Amino acid sequence: MNKHTKTFILCVGSLILGSGAVQADKLADVLARGKLIVGTGSTNPPWHFRDEAGNLAGFDVDVAKIVAKGLFDDAEKVEFVIQASDARIPNVVTDKVDITCQFMTVTAARAQQVAFTLPYYREGVGFLLTKDAKHKTYDELKAAGAAVTVSVLQNVYAEEMVHQALPEAKVDQYESVDLMYQALNSGRADAAATDMSSLKWFMKQNPDKYLDAGYGWNPQTYSCAIKKGDADWLNFVNIALREALSGVEFATYSASFEKWFGEAPPAPKIGFPAELR
Amino acid sequence: MTYTFNFNVIWANLDQLLSGLALGLALAFFSILIGAAIGLAAAFAATGGSRFLRGAASVYVTAIRNTPLLVIVLIAYFALPELGIRMGKLESFVASLAIYAGAYLTEVFRASLIGIPAGLIDAGLSIGLTRFQVARLVRFPIMLRNALPALGSTFISLFKDTSIAAAIAIPELTFQARRINVDTFRVVEAWMAASILYLGTCLVIAAGLRRLERHFPKF
Amino acid sequence: MGEFFAEIWTARAQLAEGLLATIEISAVAIFTGSALGLFTGIGLVYGWRPLRWLLRFYVDVVRGTPVLVLILATFYILAVFGVQFTAVGSGMFALSLFCGGHLGEIVRGALQTIPATQIDAGKSVGLRMPQILLLVLLPQALRQILPVWINTAVEIVKASTLLSIIGVGELLLKTQEIIGRNFLTLEFYTFAGLLYFLVNFSIERFGRIVERRLALA
Repeated sequence: MNKHTKTFILCVGSLILGSGAVQADKLADVLARGKLIVGTGSTNPPWHFRDEAGNLAGFDVDVAKIVAKGLFDDAEKVEFVIQASDARIPNVVTDKVDITCQFMTVTAARAQQVAFTLPYYREGVGFLLTKDAKHKTYDELKAAGAAVTVSVLQNVYAEEMVHQALPEAKVDQYESVDLMYQALNSGRADAAATDMSSLKWFMKQNPDKYLDAGYGWNPQTYSCAIKKGDADWLNFVNIALREALSGVEFATYSASFEKWFGEAPPAPKIGFPAELR
Repeated sequence: MTYTFNFNVIWANLDQLLSGLALGLALAFFSILIGAAIGLAAAFAATGGSRFLRGAASVYVTAIRNTPLLVIVLIAYFALPELGIRMGKLESFVASLAIYAGAYLTEVFRASLIGIPAGLIDAGLSIGLTRFQVARLVRFPIMLRNALPALGSTFISLFKDTSIAAAIAIPELTFQARRINVDTFRVVEAWMAASILYLGTCLVIAAGLRRLERHFPKF
Repeated sequence: MGEFFAEIWTARAQLAEGLLATIEISAVAIFTGSALGLFTGIGLVYGWRPLRWLLRFYVDVVRGTPVLVLILATFYILAVFGVQFTAVGSGMFALSLFCGGHLGEIVRGALQTIPATQIDAGKSVGLRMPQILLLVLLPQALRQILPVWINTAVEIVKASTLLSIIGVGELLLKTQEIIGRNFLTLEFYTFAGLLYFLVNFSIERFGRIVERRLALA
């Protein structure tokens, strides 16, 4: 009998017998269980995707492992639950997962439903250019005005978003990321506007072929999310993340950051803790 | 576990749910129109004299009936642009659903065509109609009447299949219910509302079809 | 094209895992759903009146609701009521409900075409109702529904693709994961379509063979 069949039987069993206890102390529960259950996706490099060996990899995955290391001193004691983007909040609220790390943009509206941890990345939009592009910097793109065509992933706000940076540029929307890049490669577009993280990852995958125009806008903050109302658990995760961004686990965080975005994050300043200034 | 119902969120979002429902019906309507045209052509091909056309119709029906609709939808939307075929979301979904429906309707029309007594066709030919006129004036109307019940149930399944449009973010009913689910977390209410709307619409369509069938007596 | 084959080779383990998951999920759903459908069909015809109402409600809801809604609703609603199904578990559960509802109606239809005189005949030779059902009615009904049953199996395999939306690592999600990595959208979606076709085509062929055997028997 395969594992899926077994889970199914277990699930139906639990349905008949009535199910689990109400969670009261997540930190204690997770420690007792011996592994952290993390919700994330599997189709968006460099955040969360399957590498060629079929293992989950990416920056979100590494962040989750940092939390696991804090819990068990073993970064591998994580069980990942694959979820669609719109299951991020429901799965946290219904205790399907202990924490969600899935490039989740912090908004005040969402903070009414889940508790956000400290941020671990600030996303923005940037311009990707080919190495031999006619306009090589943001200023040159801007100066070229209406002569510039920008390819972008289709979205209701895509045109408005590009026009925030280049008010006169022509905007071509594409249905998928690869088509957007193809438009750039074939010269149908002078620049591709895309998430800074995807841009960095793409440049790292294809060394010496592309340029970053050196301008980022449209900021959004990425945090993990947990269920509301458990201060101990939130505090624990926050400490684990804070010390990865600025304390004893900085080397781990920094290595991961460099692996996925091709550059090292600024090192924490030694001396007085900057966050208390 | 206690769950307190709160249907306010459904009332507040009712217009979105209803517009999602209307969009689903429209998608199903255009799909069955185009699908019926495809099915009709394929059915005449499948019952016709040309071996090549019979083979082509059979390959089409077998291939599409055994392929998941979601895969067809994803290919049409995400992959066809690579071949230079770029359609908007709605167009690409209607095209997918029409091709999918066409395969089922081919079978429906084929069965209805076979069901026409040969004597009628001979009678048409003997009064001097051409083969094409027989097809248009005799076989087609009778076939349509024979196919009416199956056409109706195909429309109902197509309407339910429009829920798959949610996968490419077309704001039909399932998409709206999912949005309410995610935004407000009124899980049970959102899905109850969606189910009731789907179920009610299916029942109304089915009742309408029964009346239509009674209106046109069976040959 | 060479790149495509190289990528298939790289992803072979993922594709195999996805294909196996698809087959297994479908098999469990068809098996559970068939048992449920048989019970539902019998209950709809010969059941105690309140049971009949309950089953009628179940069948109508399942048949009037898109399977995607059933899958999403099961996935989220069970969790709200504290039932901790995994995505795979709730997906199989939803597909079983779907299969059971459709088969229930089909079994009911088949049972009702059997003349009631056969029940009387059975009783007159001293058989009790369960025996009549098992020995007289079901064998006839099952032979009648076999083609439709095969059809339902194909529908379940196709519907299992929808589980990718709730994060079940079946063939379609595995395909999307591969595409996320190498951007070979057209090639890999077409390849997945081909694999689904092969699975369903085999089911269909198998059904035809069994049907012919039964027709001869």
